[in-house]
Amino acid sequence: MTTPAPAPRLVVWLTGVSFAVITGVLGLVFVLLSWQARAGLVDSAARELERSQRWFAEIEGRRVRERQLQAMTIAENPTLKAAVDTYLAETAAGTPPADLLPTIDQEVAKLATVLDARALAVVDLDGRVLSAGGPAGPDWRRGQLLPDLALADATTGAAVVAASRLYLAAVVPLTIGPDAVGAIVSAVPLDEAYAVSLAAGARADIAIVHEGRLVARSPGIPAALDGARLAAGESLDVGGELLVVRQLTVVGATRVYAVSSVTGAAAAATGQLTRVFLGVGALALLLAGLASAWLARVIARPIARLTSSLTHMADTRDLRQPLPRDGVSLELDALAARFDDLRLAVLQAEGESEAAYAGVIGALAAALDARDPYTAGHSQRVASLSVLIAEEMGMPEGDRETLRLGALLHDIGKIGINDAVLRKPTRLTAEEFEHIRMHPVLGARILQPLEFLRPHIPVVELHHERPDGRGYPHGLSGDAIPLAARIAHVADAFDAMTSARAYRPPLPASHALDELRRHTGTDFDAPVVVAMLAVWETRLAPAGGAVPIDPLPFRNPADYTASVRSRAAARDVAQVAS
Amino acid sequence: MQTAPAGRITGTVRLASPSSRRLATPGAYPGRRVTPVSERESSELQNVVVFVRLPDGAAPPALPPARAVVRQTDEEFVPHVVAITRGSVVEFPNDDLVFHNVFSLSRASTFDLGRYPKGATRTVTFRRPGIVKVYCHLHSHMSALVRVFDHPHFTVVGGDGTFTLEGLAPGSYDIVAWHERVGEAHAKVTVTAGAASAVAFSLPLKDQ
Repeated sequence: MTTPAPAPRLVVWLTGVSFAVITGVLGLVFVLLSWQARAGLVDSAARELERSQRWFAEIEGRRVRERQLQAMTIAENPTLKAAVDTYLAETAAGTPPADLLPTIDQEVAKLATVLDARALAVVDLDGRVLSAGGPAGPDWRRGQLLPDLALADATTGAAVVAASRLYLAAVVPLTIGPDAVGAIVSAVPLDEAYAVSLAAGARADIAIVHEGRLVARSPGIPAALDGARLAAGESLDVGGELLVVRQLTVVGATRVYAVSSVTGAAAAATGQLTRVFLGVGALALLLAGLASAWLARVIARPIARLTSSLTHMADTRDLRQPLPRDGVSLELDALAARFDDLRLAVLQAEGESEAAYAGVIGALAAALDARDPYTAGHSQRVASLSVLIAEEMGMPEGDRETLRLGALLHDIGKIGINDAVLRKPTRLTAEEFEHIRMHPVLGARILQPLEFLRPHIPVVELHHERPDGRGYPHGLSGDAIPLAARIAHVADAFDAMTSARAYRPPLPASHALDELRRHTGTDFDAPVVVAMLAVWETRLAPAGGAVPIDPLPFRNPADYTASVRSRAAARDVAQVAS
Repeated sequence: MQTAPAGRITGTVRLASPSSRRLATPGAYPGRRVTPVSERESSELQNVVVFVRLPDGAAPPALPPARAVVRQTDEEFVPHVVAITRGSVVEFPNDDLVFHNVFSLSRASTFDLGRYPKGATRTVTFRRPGIVKVYCHLHSHMSALVRVFDHPHFTVVGGDGTFTLEGLAPGSYDIVAWHERVGEAHAKVTVTAGAASAVAFSLPLKDQ
């Protein structure tokens, strides 16, 4: 048979439940707030991008206009114009003047140095490159046809692919009078460097897409992104990263997108949220722990006190004290009240059973007295006298009651003595005397089975011991003999001497007292004798020498029980103390 | 040729299309225009030169030297187109209050007359046939065209689109009407003595 594990303590239960509830609520709130914060971040990223977009459009428009104005200024250069116009006119007439090309190239190269653009080119009306200069000039080969230039727009320019590199071009016509003879093209490559410069301006990452293909990007753009996805939506999930996308400009088949990552910002915000929640959670759990502990204490302490009271009752068998009422809760008070009812019932039952025992013992004592008319009333007189002496000596009431009952039963062992010996009117033989001397041990043996009478056994067993050690049955001496036994011994002797016997009349009290005095220290304990003499003087002599008899073996069964219990408790305390 | 009486050719020229080609999006850029376009459009016919294309190897006729004047008026060369014989002199008087600087990069005649003020004039002698484009260094929108021939059979069309080629010996001629930007149109014309042959040009040609 296995022993079930002990149930957990109340505080553990309460703390566990509070912990689970708080963790659950905090977790739920955290998830909701995180979700909301993320949604808010997407919104704010989109708003930020729109702001950037407007700002960027303005800045970028200004840059395009600047390039255009520069190109327009260049387009007014008379030498360049004259050279280009002359060249084209003579070419149209069928005689291309090769010697004019170096002049044009030189002019273009000179103008390119003062230009912000990476490439400066002169094209004819068909978009055929006539000459080009600037760092990226070699991309613009002479004779190359760039029809996209014709699509140039005044505000955005044109997106042109020269030598498979994408350029943003400002196109300004080269006019002579009302006639356009060609165009000046000022171009910057739409490459990584351009994307990075735009990203710095737009405060977002920049992706440049040409004909659906990602041609340039700032470092924050994932390489996996393509033009189709950028064109698809306002927010994209790329490899778990949430991106917000806004189209900034459209130039021909080229699109420039501003891209902002929400994930990074969200991670930062969520991290902050997590820290706040861990702090709040720790605090909440601490408070929950304290509250649980307090609650457990409030509930568990009265229970523990009740348990302790019940344990104490069970240990001492003292059922007189009512159980404490804490007033903490109706239920606990009801529990204590029911226990109290139980206690009173047990108390009553115990009292009744002890009264029944006591009645039996009283009957035994009476039966003993009835066997020998000479000893009739002896037990009760010894009991009463013992109590008087004990009172004189200041013995506590509980001990006095023990003494009284012990004295009442002191000769109970004589039940086991032959009537012939017991009632023999003549002097006893040594053998008969030995037989008589067995009665204290017999008495102890009779009382032994009755647990509640055991405290009286010393009086019964030792009431014939003498201070000089010559008593029986054990020959104890001095303080080894309990005081109660010593008192009972003196009272027994006094009553025996002052009572009639089959072989003699009663001795006068004065004679008996003299006997006591004479044998003080040998047969009788000196303090007891002193007390006896005082009792005689103060109590018995004024009453004519008669010992007052209490007819009942117990004045009150409850008192009796209490005296026994309190003595047992005192013994326990003494044992613990030693 | 001297013995036979000469015939002449009269004709008309019509410009059917805008006088110049432009970029597809010319309006996007505010080009600099000093003279109102409407005034220029009306005289666009005066920029058409009609001439006889002599067969290669034909003996160069004697050329009477001539003088022509291209004025600089209101930041404009007037007339815009002149046609002269080889060896002729063109005067470039400045009528404006501002300086002008007439120059050319053309192979037929490269020159730079430098800056000169109002009232001054400079001259250039054109010694080689061909197209000479003339510009002003100070005003890049100004341009003129001097067409130099090594024969005398040419003329600039009038404002009404009519022209007359005089003193042609009877025979068959290849006649060209030429506009710098629009292009040229050809016509075969037979000239009979003492009579006028008519020809009508339309620029550009319909299939062009």
